[in-house]
Formats: sequence, C-alpha cells, structure tokens
Amino acid sequence: MSEPIQALPPPLSLIAELTHRCPLHCLYCSNPIELQRAEDELSTEVWQRVFQQAAELGILQLHLTGGEPLARKDLPELISAARAAGLYVNMITSGIGLAEDRLRALLDAGLDHLQLSFQDIEEISANHIAGTRAHAIKLALAPVLKKYPLAFTINLVVHRMNLDRLASFIELAEDLEPDRLEIAHVQYYGWALKNRSLLMPTEDQVQRSLPIVEAAKVRLKGKIHVESVFPDYFGSFPKACVGGWGRQTMLIDPSGTALPCHSAAVIPGLSFDNVRDHDLAWIWNNSPAFERFRGDAWMPETCLACPRKERDFGGCHCQAFMLTGDANAMDPVCSYSPHHSMLQLLRQPSSETFPIWRSS
Amino acid sequence: MQIQSILKMSPGCRLHPTQDVLLIPEGTLRLSGPSREVLMRIDGQRDVNAIVEDLLLQFSDANPDEVRRDVLTLLDRLEQRGVIKA
Repeated sequence: MSEPIQALPPPLSLIAELTHRCPLHCLYCSNPIELQRAEDELSTEVWQRVFQQAAELGILQLHLTGGEPLARKDLPELISAARAAGLYVNMITSGIGLAEDRLRALLDAGLDHLQLSFQDIEEISANHIAGTRAHAIKLALAPVLKKYPLAFTINLVVHRMNLDRLASFIELAEDLEPDRLEIAHVQYYGWALKNRSLLMPTEDQVQRSLPIVEAAKVRLKGKIHVESVFPDYFGSFPKACVGGWGRQTMLIDPSGTALPCHSAAVIPGLSFDNVRDHDLAWIWNNSPAFERFRGDAWMPETCLACPRKERDFGGCHCQAFMLTGDANAMDPVCSYSPHHSMLQLLRQPSSETFPIWRSS
Repeated sequence: MQIQSILKMSPGCRLHPTQDVLLIPEGTLRLSGPSREVLMRIDGQRDVNAIVEDLLLQFSDANPDEVRRDVLTLLDRLEQRGVIKA
C-alpha cells in the first residue's frame, strides 16, 4: 500500500454560509434562487467540527456569511471555535440585529474583521435596493464599530442605479473611517441575474467611474486601503474566478454542501459532497465537483494555447454556463471567446425593467 | 516612517501563530526572510530604533546600517499597505 498522493495545495479560505435567512432582500443578492431552509441548517457542533478540519487542512481565513450570520444565535460559539482552531475570522453582515452588547460578545469570542455593505448614499434609494429599511441602521453602526479594536471594511455595491453618485458615495464611506473600502460592481449570479438589465451600468457610467476609483486609491493611500471589483461584462479578459476552480476557495452552504464557489450548483451534472458525510480534507482531495475544472484538461484549444491560462485559469464556468448553456465553453468575457459579442447586447440597458425582490 | 516612530499593528492584523504569514482583513501576506522577526517586535511601545537594536542582538553578524535600512524599507511598505500604524 502506498500513501495517497498529496499533490494539491490546501485552500486558503473557507466561506461558511451559516444560514440563508436574511432581513435584507437586495436586488443584487448573489445567493442562489432556491435558498436552503432554516430546518436544514448545520448544527453548532457540525460547524465547529468543520472549522477544526479547515485549520488542519491549512485554511487560514474563514468568511462567515449568509444570508445574515447574525440570524444564528450560536454565532459567538462558532466564532470562538474558529479562533481556537487558528482561523482568521471575518464576518460579512448587514449589521441588522448587531446591538452593542452582541458586538462585544462577538469580539470577546475573537472576531477579527467585519464587512458592512452600503446600497446607496440616499436613504430612500438604499432601502429600495436592499428591499428593506436598513440604511439608517448601518449608518448608526459604523461609529459603534470605531469604539472597539476591530477592523472593518465598507463595501459599496455599485450598479446603474447608484453609479452616478460614486464620488459622494465614497465620501460617505470615508466619513465612517473604515480600515478598508471595497468598491464592487455587481456580479450577475444567483438572484442578481434576474435583475441584470435593471442593474447593468451604461458604458458611459463605467468609463466615468474608473478614474474616480483610481483617484480614491491614491488619495486614501496609507489611510484606507481601497480595492475595487471591475464589472467584467465590460472587460476583455475574464477574472480569475475564486482564484481558480478548486485552487484556493471552499464554500459550505447552510445545509453542509461543499461547493467550489457561490454559484457552482447552477452547473448541471456536478456531484457535490456534504460535510455531514466527509471531512474537508477528503472533500478537497476527492470530491468530483472540485476536480471537475482543475488543471487544463477541460479547456478548449484556444485556452490551452493561451499564456493567460496561468493567470485567469479560464475564467468563470458558472458564467460560461449561464450565458452559453455550456460550462465547458470559454467565459464569454474573454475577447477570444466566439460568444464575446453577446456581451455587447447584454450591456444595453433596458429602460423597461422593474425590480424583482425575493419574497420574504 | 522615522527611526523614532513607535509602531503598532493595525486592527484586524496579526501574525499567524505558527506559519510565516501575516493575517489581514480579507487576505494574507506571505512573510519572507526575517520579516516575521521584525513584526514580532511591534508592540505599540518600542520605536524602530529599539526594534533594530533588538534584532542586532539576535543577528549579531549582520551589518547594523543594512539592518536599519532593510527594516525601515519593510516597515514603510507595511505602513503604506495599512498593516501597521506609526
């Protein structure tokens, strides 16, 4: 008997979707159309075991997300188990339900970093986009966060409805004094795809936004670290989605299914494994869904011959599937893709679209 | 960054307990060479000069001027990145 081959490097981050319950109903929600139900969520004990296994596998960063992680009453226990295992603990939250005593409990448990997103600078529009009255609560939370030794990121999610106000939107974020600022164009996955023609910025908006973002990076250097996510429908080359399929990232959904990314379940024919049945190391090394697009065996000839394949790993398979019906196709964002011209049509904003919210 | 600057780690930034990695919000910085030795000495009390002196006790063969210059370069870069604050 020989030892199993351990050729794969371990993943860097684990995304834990603790629950799909959420008080917000954002138009651009990246969670799947079909959400997992509360009664199917993993127990405290299973999540704690998963975090221990993640650290043993070599994972460094844990991202607690949802839905809204605060909907889990056992959040302090989950955070302290993750910290005890040696993970860096980040929480992505709407801030709804984060009273100061609860915040203190999370900090005592070892929370390292928190990410708070904003939907717009004006309250009416922000609440419209979030599908609920959240803006004032978020604004009130930021100064409370500043009282504690906690790093926080403000994430400005931008699209056609708010991109014209980007400069003042950045000023609002600056006033709240975060450690990091993310300016992220909506990506069209999950629920967001339903609202694509409503959210799609115009070419002119995108062009005007780029120098504003670059200027903010320069101006805030050494004070607030600024990162931006480019709207890839406007690009010529695809993003290295999740750092490459099955290379850096593992996502566990609320019911324990292990996925290579947020949206992998849309791809037909993939077989996923569950943390109730297998440990993370087994899943990382053996789960067919993670194996499916590793390396370059799946690649069309154009990608195989392309020097960029080491940089973008062929782009996003979910996007290839959603736009062309074939997950093996090249990501249409790539200008070498035979489908690239379809993006030009999809970039045309429609004036006759209405917002579609999730029903609560 | 001055030789008398007193440094502390920014909130949300900490050394991994065992690996040569600095954990930061939404990322990790791989540490090369003696970077970890430098970062371990940032405690919100010592200035850069005291950190250099302490390093020289450990690396007694090193050239003090080179160590001072290398440490300042590293700390400058980390300050620009927001990982440490003067």
